[in-house]
Amino acid sequence: MTHQEIKPVDTKKIKEMLNQRKGKMKRYLSHCAHCSICAESCFLYMSHNKDPQYMPSYKAIHSLGKLYRKRGKVSRDFLNKIKGIVWRNCVLCGRCYCPIGIHIPSMIAFARNICRSQEVYPQLDEASSESWL
Amino acid sequence: MVNFVQGQLILIAFIIFILGLVYQGIQFFKLTRKKEWGVPPSSMEIKREKKTAKQWIIEVLRSLNGTLWETDPALTIITALFHVCLIATPLFLLGHNILFDQSWGWRLFSFPESLSDILTLIVLICGIYFLGRRLFLARVRAISSTYDYIVLLIAVAPFLTGFLAYHQWFDYETVILLHILSGVLMLFTIPFTKLGHMLFFFLYRFFIGNEYSFVRGSRTW
Repeated sequence: MTHQEIKPVDTKKIKEMLNQRKGKMKRYLSHCAHCSICAESCFLYMSHNKDPQYMPSYKAIHSLGKLYRKRGKVSRDFLNKIKGIVWRNCVLCGRCYCPIGIHIPSMIAFARNICRSQEVYPQLDEASSESWL
Repeated sequence: MVNFVQGQLILIAFIIFILGLVYQGIQFFKLTRKKEWGVPPSSMEIKREKKTAKQWIIEVLRSLNGTLWETDPALTIITALFHVCLIATPLFLLGHNILFDQSWGWRLFSFPESLSDILTLIVLICGIYFLGRRLFLARVRAISSTYDYIVLLIAVAPFLTGFLAYHQWFDYETVILLHILSGVLMLFTIPFTKLGHMLFFFLYRFFIGNEYSFVRGSRTW
């Protein structure tokens, strides 16, 4: 176990970050109609045999959505799970299409910011290219 | 109780609905600011050549490439029909317009009753299609929760009860009371739930400038 993994999560800071952008992000999250129309616009979804977990809305709901639902009170394990969603499952190419006009990349980017604030980010120097998952 | 529901409650619902939308609209403009353009988009200023009708049609058809129309034409038609009927039917229903006239002294144009009946049926069929998608399509199921089913019910319930009331199936008094209550519930929830996309669809796609906005968006968060 590395030093990073035992360091406690600063939930106060996460909450502060969430509150700072709640006007925009909570509106985006609450106006998502959960229609799944964004799916086909994601090249990762298409190239992973249409696996639902690569859908842009799925990624936003299961990362930033969960952070808001838990009001920032999350564990390191939880942040590590999110890490896989926001870095591995999304490359922030910004081409996702939402019929309502929700800008999904900004939500994923914000979830990345929150993870980074807790020193959770991909460690690409590790032996295997996917070991940071 | 019945008098209250048919009188004050409807008025309260309309007030909350309108004030809620106004509040959300004001909040949107407070949270966003005017966009400053780093580099003026010059292509917008170039005078375009006049297109012939044929060129115009070709361009419109080409713009549909890769859109939802191409990936899922059935959903495109069904969702468009659903939204148009959802808004047009209650506004232009003869029964509603008679009530408008009685209480406020003005009325909108009304559809013939048989047409309203068909439009209501279209909303219900589309509602069943959306429910089916949510239940059986893995990608929709992956992001569905109880809340999504409740919101779909809130959206469709006024049409179901209205349809039952019009055909006088079951006890009319109870059904019409349920119809009013479900309509009131829908008006209450529109500004504050995901049904808010009724307003925010226009705000997001016309005001926020991004890749898929309909016009050059003038505002940013």
